[in-house]
Amino acid sequence: MNRKSARFVPGVTILVLLLSLAFAVPLRAQDSSSVLSGTITSSSGAIVSNAKISVKNLATGESTEAQTNSAGFYSVPNLGPGDYEVSVSAAGFDAKTAKVTFAAESNRTLNFALTATLSLQDLGFPASQTQGNPAEQARLNKRSHMLQIHQRLGLITAIPLAATVISGAFAGGKSTSSTNRDLHAALGTATAGLYFASAYYAIFAPKIPGTKVEGNIRLHKALAWIHGPGMILTPILGEMAFSQRSKGEKVHGIARMHGQVAIITAAAYGLAILSVSLKSGHVSKTAHAVLATFDRKRPLSANASSGGSAQTGGAKNAAAHRTPESGFLKGSTFYPD
Amino acid sequence: MNKKLLIVFLLLALPGLASGQSQWVLEKSTLTYHVSHPLHESEGTSHAARGKGTCQAGQCDFLIAVPVKSFNSGDSNRDLHMLQVTRGAQFPMVTVRVHLPEAALTSATIHCDLEIDFAGQTASYKQVPFQAVTHGNETEITGTIPTTVSDFKIDPPKLLMVPIKNEIPVHVDMTWRRS
Repeated sequence: MNRKSARFVPGVTILVLLLSLAFAVPLRAQDSSSVLSGTITSSSGAIVSNAKISVKNLATGESTEAQTNSAGFYSVPNLGPGDYEVSVSAAGFDAKTAKVTFAAESNRTLNFALTATLSLQDLGFPASQTQGNPAEQARLNKRSHMLQIHQRLGLITAIPLAATVISGAFAGGKSTSSTNRDLHAALGTATAGLYFASAYYAIFAPKIPGTKVEGNIRLHKALAWIHGPGMILTPILGEMAFSQRSKGEKVHGIARMHGQVAIITAAAYGLAILSVSLKSGHVSKTAHAVLATFDRKRPLSANASSGGSAQTGGAKNAAAHRTPESGFLKGSTFYPD
Repeated sequence: MNKKLLIVFLLLALPGLASGQSQWVLEKSTLTYHVSHPLHESEGTSHAARGKGTCQAGQCDFLIAVPVKSFNSGDSNRDLHMLQVTRGAQFPMVTVRVHLPEAALTSATIHCDLEIDFAGQTASYKQVPFQAVTHGNETEITGTIPTTVSDFKIDPPKLLMVPIKNEIPVHVDMTWRRS
């Protein structure tokens, strides 16, 4: 080793030692600190967010503050060894304290269940009203799921239904071509299939006991008593008419009612869709207009209600303008006696 | 005799005066939620809320609770659907906790920090303004809480495949009696 390198080596060694000390000190301190964490909930298990946590070193008197997040979780890092007092407070809850001792590098989890200053029992609600019912929720979920399918199938059904009605205009008459009749029959079959599939989900959706039926849904259910039997009768009459035409005969007898029954069925079906789609007042106006076209002695009045919570008002207006002695709708569910 | 009466009065009154505690009871209420949809605007109203408040050492805590089932929109089908999407059978109560300084209760406009438990979720609303009108020992509080469907992780209901708007403000009209 020469003179230059001999002088250089001790200097480098001292520099390395100094650097080691500089990095070693904070590392040593980091290794001995601890983390206190935990979750704050209410006595019922609900998460308490924005709760304040104060961790006080009993030896030094120094406090560290923290707050729970939206999950009710808190974390207080960099706690040295020693005895601490942990205080938790949250709006609407009684404060709580606990003591905890940290050794070096000992992370601790401390959860708190806070007691509400005021509780539901203080308000006088019975336990039966405040306790959840998972079975009832499952029933509601199934009901909603089935009614959603009913709604979608019902809307889809409107398409072949409209096509069937339109094709029906070309299926009868004096024409001897069977193509239009075949098309009309095929569309009618598709309509009936979709209709009864939709009806299945509505009929077998779970009922919720104790529910008073009110609002537009009453009209929707009442119209089912028109389009339901209509959807059974229409294909039967249609089959009779189809058979007669296929034999080269003129459609006669009860089969002649096929078209009229189909139109009434389609109208009731369309109104049923509108009844759960529009506001109460608009529905009663539309219902009034549709029914007036079938009840020829009943004048089409401009005084049907509109807007707001007018389901009851609309029904009252319709009742005020009906002539119960006239029309084939006398005594029907839509015109209750 | 008068001195004796005064001493008796002070002995009886002092504990109450020293504790500085007052109680509030909700006398009557109207809570109305508002739902917007392209085809429908609907509202559901409940008069079944109950509430209490305690004020001590200059701070007040209020608790108001209302059953989810008590809201009526005039359409039973809609109400049942609302009950289902808000998980109302599993979490049957809406609770609102308010913590505020007692001095704030004397203002005509009270700004409250609310913590609302609904549909199994907790949401906080800061500085919601309420108008306060006091008649004797009764105070009428009115205001609108800017709640949203997403705050409570509720799947927005749909009509004809179109969902309702996210905002479902709740209008509050409450009469509190101080005891």
